[in-house]
Amino acid sequence: MKERIFKLGTVIFLILVVLLVLIPFYWMIATALKSEAEALRTPPTIIPVAMQFRNFITALELAPFLKYFFNTVIVSFFVVLISTTVSVLAAFAFSRLEFAGKTFLFSVVLTTMMVPQEMLIITNFATIAHWGWMNSYQALIFPFCVNAFHIYLLRQNMMQIPNELYIAARIDGLSNFRFLIKVVFPQVKSSIYTVMLLSLIWIWNTYAWPNLVTTQDSMRLVSNGLKNVFTQNAGVIQYELQMASATMVTIPLVIVFICFRKYILSGVVKGGIKG
Amino acid sequence: MVKKRKQQKGLAYSRTAFLYLLPAFVLMAIFILYPMLNTIIVSSKYDYRFLTGEFAEFSFKHYVEIIKDPIFRRACLNTVFMVFVCVPASMLSALLVALGLQSIKKFRNFLATLYYLPQVTNVIAAGFVFALIFNNNFGLLNMLLERLGFEPVAWISGVGISGSQVLYNKSYMRCLFVLFTYSMWQGLSLKVILFLGGLSSINPQYYQAARIDGTSKWNVFRKITLPLLSPTTLYVYVTSSITAFKSYSAVVALFGDSYGPAGDNTKMMITLVGYIMDQLGDYLKPGAVSMASTAAVMLLFIIMVLTALQLKITHRRVHY
Repeated sequence: MKERIFKLGTVIFLILVVLLVLIPFYWMIATALKSEAEALRTPPTIIPVAMQFRNFITALELAPFLKYFFNTVIVSFFVVLISTTVSVLAAFAFSRLEFAGKTFLFSVVLTTMMVPQEMLIITNFATIAHWGWMNSYQALIFPFCVNAFHIYLLRQNMMQIPNELYIAARIDGLSNFRFLIKVVFPQVKSSIYTVMLLSLIWIWNTYAWPNLVTTQDSMRLVSNGLKNVFTQNAGVIQYELQMASATMVTIPLVIVFICFRKYILSGVVKGGIKG
Repeated sequence: MVKKRKQQKGLAYSRTAFLYLLPAFVLMAIFILYPMLNTIIVSSKYDYRFLTGEFAEFSFKHYVEIIKDPIFRRACLNTVFMVFVCVPASMLSALLVALGLQSIKKFRNFLATLYYLPQVTNVIAAGFVFALIFNNNFGLLNMLLERLGFEPVAWISGVGISGSQVLYNKSYMRCLFVLFTYSMWQGLSLKVILFLGGLSSINPQYYQAARIDGTSKWNVFRKITLPLLSPTTLYVYVTSSITAFKSYSAVVALFGDSYGPAGDNTKMMITLVGYIMDQLGDYLKPGAVSMASTAAVMLLFIIMVLTALQLKITHRRVHY
């Protein structure tokens, strides 16, 4: 009996926490569906009286959100592509090849895992400005293209591949590169997905760097686009439109997360600090 | 944990290895290693001008000046609040949730997925939603308070704070509460997943033995779960503290670009990274970039100490 009460209490507690976690999502969507007058009502209504699905279209019309989405997709695509390639190559060298200074170079990679991005921003900003890359895709893409944690994660996985495979491949005359493509790649596929998804989440949510290197509205990403739109003239915030755009920014990643949960969480458990 | 491996047999010395490493190291050299060194150098250039690169002298005066800067102190205070109040509180609740999840079988994955949602939510979007929930006039929280018969509270408000220290402190406390609620919501997700991973790696034999001995639940938790979970706990504490030391976007989304409620001109809610970004925004002002660099070096120092501490403790306590 005591056991059952304890169990019931646990379930109630868990459900309560889920509700608390979900309230902000509910409030975001509910406000996004209110009319302008209803969004400013005191006290607020819990359920929108008349659903205004038009808010989403109005938000898209008033602010270049499609442009922000487009920019974010372009930047994410190239970051995911380049950074994954770069990480796979480096991880392969660290796990399979022998060369002078290997231990030292790997410790350099591990050390950079500790360095906060925020520290690098200052000089990177100068570099980008110096190269005339302000307001360009390059400025948004290249600084994100190397990630020590991803190299580390992939290397750990590649170490699991039995060495016999490598020796056999070498005897068969497979070059290192072909070995990487034919043997290693299929074996570490799931970690590669993890790394790709973590990069995608990172780009989608990053705010400080894009905000620094983009001054033109047409170059903004979703985060800094969202930050700057509907809040420009202080005091007059159109909450229903702000929440409609927040919903549109949030939904794509939630869908990605639900579809690829397994890969994302496995990366997180292995030590991703960044969400 | 990285185990030091012996030299792997059968690895051929490769002359082409550098080709595989080249892209990673070129990018790292430009965007990580050089900026790291440069930031340290710039922090010691007095009166540094960003555009021309001129400076008066090499000195450590910035490190003295920054400690005297009231805005920097405020940034430290707020960051300390995040690290020493928000992180432990959300860790405790995450541990409870993880223990709860561990004890149920059905819906465990489903609930874990829902708990994780805040982590994939855009920080700016989430910050805006919280700012709206705490809105003085049409926020959800004040509505609930009123329904329960309480007075509504001006959560994020700077009315009259420039004239009165009492009102200022009151407003500051309320803003801290808003930040606290947000970071509880945001931080819970990741920690639940990490604790769940840690709990599932505890050998079930210990629990079976405890059940045979008839040990009480509380004692099982205190004598088995907590000690065996300690490496995870430490890991969660260190990584969360590092994240907390770097918090910035959330504060901007909650309180705006001036880091405080309207009517506040002291940058009430600024954080360490906020301070860096703020100085960087003033890059034309002589010395501003050096101040940003100084703050960044201090941040790096804090994070390195934390990481070293974690490595040291785990090495001592984790047995194979």
